[in-house]
Amino acid sequence: MGGKITCTLGEVKNRADFIIYWGGNPAECHPRHFTKYTLTQKGRFVPEGRKGRFMVLVDIRETPSVKAADLFLQIRPGKDFEVLTTLRALVKNQRVNAESVAETGLSVDQLQDLVNRMKRAKFGVIFFGMGLSMTRGKHMNSAGVLSLAAELNAFTKFVCMPMRGHGNVTGSDMVLRWSTGYPFGVSLSRGYPRFNPGEFSTVDLIVRGDNDAALILGADPGATMPQPGIDHLARIPTIVLDPKVTHTSRLSRVHITTAVTGISAPGTAYRMDEIPLPLRPALKSPYPTDEEVVRRIREAVAAKPAWSPETHVRAAIA
Amino acid sequence: MLRITGGKVYDPANGIDGVVKDVCISDGRIVSQVEGGRSIDATGLVVFPGGVDVHTHVAGAALNFARGLTPEHMRRGLPFVHTPEFRAGLGGITPTTFATGYLYAGMGWTTVNEAAMPVLSARHTHEELHDTPIVDKSTLVLMANNEIVLDLLEAGELERARHVVAWLIGAAKAYGVKAVNPGGVVNWKYGHDAKKLFESIDGYSKVTPARIISDLATIIDDLGLPHPLHIHCNNLGAPGNFTTTIETMKVLEGRRAHLAHLQFHSYGGDDWGSMRSEAATVAEYFNTHTNFTTDAGAILFGNTVTITADGPWQHVLYQLTGHKWGNLDVENETGCGIVPYVYKEHKLVNAIQWAVGLELLLLITDPWRIFLTTDHPNGACFWRYPELIRLLMDVEYRRECVNRLPEEAQKRIVLADLDRKYTLSDIAIITSAGPARALGLTQKGHLGVGADADVALYHANPDPSLMFEYPRYVIKSGEVVVEDGEIRSVSNGRQFLVQPPFDEHITEYLRPVFQKVYTMSFDNYPVEMERIRRPEVIGTV
Repeated sequence: MGGKITCTLGEVKNRADFIIYWGGNPAECHPRHFTKYTLTQKGRFVPEGRKGRFMVLVDIRETPSVKAADLFLQIRPGKDFEVLTTLRALVKNQRVNAESVAETGLSVDQLQDLVNRMKRAKFGVIFFGMGLSMTRGKHMNSAGVLSLAAELNAFTKFVCMPMRGHGNVTGSDMVLRWSTGYPFGVSLSRGYPRFNPGEFSTVDLIVRGDNDAALILGADPGATMPQPGIDHLARIPTIVLDPKVTHTSRLSRVHITTAVTGISAPGTAYRMDEIPLPLRPALKSPYPTDEEVVRRIREAVAAKPAWSPETHVRAAIA
Repeated sequence: MLRITGGKVYDPANGIDGVVKDVCISDGRIVSQVEGGRSIDATGLVVFPGGVDVHTHVAGAALNFARGLTPEHMRRGLPFVHTPEFRAGLGGITPTTFATGYLYAGMGWTTVNEAAMPVLSARHTHEELHDTPIVDKSTLVLMANNEIVLDLLEAGELERARHVVAWLIGAAKAYGVKAVNPGGVVNWKYGHDAKKLFESIDGYSKVTPARIISDLATIIDDLGLPHPLHIHCNNLGAPGNFTTTIETMKVLEGRRAHLAHLQFHSYGGDDWGSMRSEAATVAEYFNTHTNFTTDAGAILFGNTVTITADGPWQHVLYQLTGHKWGNLDVENETGCGIVPYVYKEHKLVNAIQWAVGLELLLLITDPWRIFLTTDHPNGACFWRYPELIRLLMDVEYRRECVNRLPEEAQKRIVLADLDRKYTLSDIAIITSAGPARALGLTQKGHLGVGADADVALYHANPDPSLMFEYPRYVIKSGEVVVEDGEIRSVSNGRQFLVQPPFDEHITEYLRPVFQKVYTMSFDNYPVEMERIRRPEVIGTV
């Protein structure tokens, strides 16, 4: 179990005849997803466009995305893992207990119908949102949906992709991976990268109050973090680089206004499918770019006496 | 200015085989004489041109996918602690970018060729190479499953295809062209593979793997690229695939080509139970056809992760191993698959694979045409090259290793009968002079006047694995970068690329075709030259 079977969004546009959105509301959260990539585009092998595709929405409540779906499956909150596990069993023609399945809010017939449709697809794709990955079961839900997609490849072509958002989060993931080996939750406190989600991941670190300063770029944790984390950020020296006033900038000691990347600052943004796009500024900004501010902070730090774990240890021994 | 005195110099490209002589360096190049400057006493040391890796996977979307997929490997990687001069990182099976530069240089290798880059994510590959210090770099762009190119081959528009290929190479800022499982990755987009060279692929009537191979090789030769078509044959890893490999060579008759990781393509038998080595058959054909070069793609026992653009093969491997599986199909261009894998000495298939890599290195008679690689990290990590060198130089040790293999495996290989022993000069050829020549990098792989001053100095040691894993000095572009296992200075290597000429009007043809099937703006597709750190354009021939 494990892994990720995925593709770039153009493969979905050109080939996908069966699309599932699970635990997400793209109509409101990724409003151009349907029109640019998944539903209405005419693809190389889906020349009919929308008519050539079947869309299933799985969620715990009706959202505006339901209107776009051919089939809406409403499951009980917190039952995603059970539904995914049942689907994986049905894909392999294993028996399932109808009573247990009914607790998920769906019937075996509904799930068997979904499995039949998945197997009949020529090219299937599952997009999953935070309604799956951040609710009861968390990473086990992600593992379940990724395994379902992987196992379907014994029957037909199937891929899977998380619906990522929040600016250039994928870019941060990519750079951390090539420079430290890990996508997030990295600690450099020993001088080399260590990875331990739960221990070093940002939210856990801040909620526990382990850090005694914070430099925040391209994020607004003051709006989304649990209250103990927000309280901690207000307590310690928090520095925010942001083009606008945010919840976090209001509680920070220092807010440096920066140019908006993509509008008045150049750079690279990674799409949710990990394809890098160049950003070309259309306007000029009186404010410095994030990169320039970080570079100047780094230069100022570098001008101070060198510190590294090694020199630190040597000094301690001496 | 630097003078290396008293070392035993191995410079096979200039016919120098273990002669004690001075090597002089000025302004990053080898010169005939220097006055003053630093002098290194190399008495008792062996002097080699810096290593050149003709086929490795060190940067880009696929490798970064593998890093993310295997934190359990990363945490066992050698930690690199940051200092004011050096960046932190991790070694291990898929080293981080900074560690990659330190590890290659630390072994005496100074040039690496990243062998698989999609155009669509070339910008990412270059960002990683930007962060890979010390070594000089080049990349090969994936072309054999590019549907815009294949559409032109289907229509018989070879002339226009040539302009498109040239434009794509320029757009990707690549150095050469790679063909991976021609047609097979296109078929994989709907869950199939291309196992037969002369059967048309999904969605095409005239385009077969053979046709793709043949047309691409012709285009590359017409464009005069310094490195020929770099081909990963169909049916990688499958028992009985040696026939496909030989057929591929027949298709390529009269044209240049580099056959990548030949070990993975030289198996006999009908299934995993009857698999055997066919290295001898492949080597026999290869020896008599001088239009080819190849690299070993040898395996070593142990833990690794397999990474390839060959998506369908990785699905097979996932089903065989039940291990994690990563797959990333890249729109209209290529794919990629990732499966962690452990090669075990006691497993029949792995034992045969281990032998095949060595057999090819020993049975292919001309060291100028086969190079030392492990298809890093597929067969083993690049930092294990010294282990392979020992197996080539020490016949006794090799025999001991063969004797440890399962008896059944020993019946299906010929390695025990091979007495050939590599000399130091042979090693200098397969690790440096040969790959540099195959890549068409005239300033690399030798120590003649005018060459780049990339030099590795090793202590002579009866155990070649110890000798080559720990150079006394490594010099890159005239600068001492490694001294006794310590990185001394970190420079940024150059990026080699080619810019073959194309008809300017080709973009008028490409733009609408592109906009129809891609999800990115055509203007965002090419990588801007400003993003390349220290680019050096190599001329076409």
